[in-house]
Amino acid sequence: VRVAIDPAKCMGHGMCYSLAPSVFTDDDEGYGHVAGDGEVPPAQFDEARNGAANCPEGAITVDV
Amino acid sequence: LTADALPKVSTDDLPMPEARDDAWHQMDEHPLVEVEDGYAATHRDVVEQILKDPSVFSSKRAFDVLASPVPMVPIAFDPPEQTRYRRILQPFFSPRVIKPLEPDLRKQVGEIIEPIIERGECDFIAEVAAVFPIQVFLTLFGLPLDMRDQFIVWKDAVLNLSAAAGQTSVDEAAQEGMQKALELFTYLSELIQKRRGDPGDDVLSQVLSIEPPDALSDEEAIGLCFLFVLAGLDTVMDALGFGMQRLAENPERRREIVNDPSLIPAAMEELLRLDPPAPFIPRVTTAEATVAGHTLPEGSRITSYLAVANRDEEMFPNPYEIDFHRTENRHVSFGMGVHRCLGSHLARMEMQVLYEEWHKRIPDYRITPGTTARVHWPRGTVGLDSLHLTIQAGGAT
Repeated sequence: VRVAIDPAKCMGHGMCYSLAPSVFTDDDEGYGHVAGDGEVPPAQFDEARNGAANCPEGAITVDV
Repeated sequence: LTADALPKVSTDDLPMPEARDDAWHQMDEHPLVEVEDGYAATHRDVVEQILKDPSVFSSKRAFDVLASPVPMVPIAFDPPEQTRYRRILQPFFSPRVIKPLEPDLRKQVGEIIEPIIERGECDFIAEVAAVFPIQVFLTLFGLPLDMRDQFIVWKDAVLNLSAAAGQTSVDEAAQEGMQKALELFTYLSELIQKRRGDPGDDVLSQVLSIEPPDALSDEEAIGLCFLFVLAGLDTVMDALGFGMQRLAENPERRREIVNDPSLIPAAMEELLRLDPPAPFIPRVTTAEATVAGHTLPEGSRITSYLAVANRDEEMFPNPYEIDFHRTENRHVSFGMGVHRCLGSHLARMEMQVLYEEWHKRIPDYRITPGTTARVHWPRGTVGLDSLHLTIQAGGAT
């Protein structure tokens, strides 16, 4: 599962890393990042999708 | 279509005081509505268009009405100036910086709630929601908690001044308000000098210790302090008041979070979706703009109505229902785009801690019979004047 955050769209609401902390992490300014290289195991698909579905900016894509 | 075809709503006449869901519902049919001071954007996609395009929909001109004597850093600025302020300020309000405050705030909430359990009733607004955010502000600024009541007087005066902005009559109350605002201004100026000379480990000292070229001037620092007072105190108070009112009126929903406190973050987001405390985000167009198929001339005032956008059926099924199990909740109660609420992480922590500590101790409560919680209206922000709660017998542990 391929997960990506568009840094131009991310405004640091923090929904992704609070809802799906094993998929997303925060930085010093509160912006979201995908943990690791952006490839997450299928077991984390629901969590990744949950993070994407609650991003107010629509900055997250999850592709199978 | 021309502007003539737009529906008009007299927002002053909306049934906001006792039926705010109905009030928002009256505005949700058309994406763009004509209102007293310009246009209202009400659908989620239109709000998104506006808040994501600060070059056309400017904040700089939108906040002129406040006539602030200090620069309103950073809300009354557009990129690239705004970008600079955000880059400087954001690290002080990120989750990893805010998180360490949590145990202290949790303890403070407990101390606020305990006396209420014994009494069995309270005005939640005056006794809890009004005092806790101020204590958080004092904690952040390294100020003694016994300044709480003084700050309540000051911030009410400043907020009333900005609420009255644009009115020309200088009556006695306005003069007294001006006097109080001046006192706060003087206090903050002196505090800034003190913290520059003898920094503590508080957030204000840290912001003031930023090295050039990013260092803030005294004027900018005062403006920032004023913004904390204007944007960070009553907003949390109002959001908590609304949330607790809905929980008091909906025992089934309340029991969900009492039985499963891990649901509280989702519940908090849903309550925020329904009741953004700062539901009107003003912008002024810098050029002719097309919004929802209508052409708006340059200089048009267009306000995003967040509470209506959060009830857009396209994105939120059954938008007027309280549902703590929404799989998708992309509400914009903290705004969106470059001006996303700087204090959102702090506000969320304050609210979550309050909901957790309250329901741990007081699972059963209701609106005190014979009392009615009313929204002050018309006003630039919305909130309850009072919320009288009676704790159900046997509820306290």
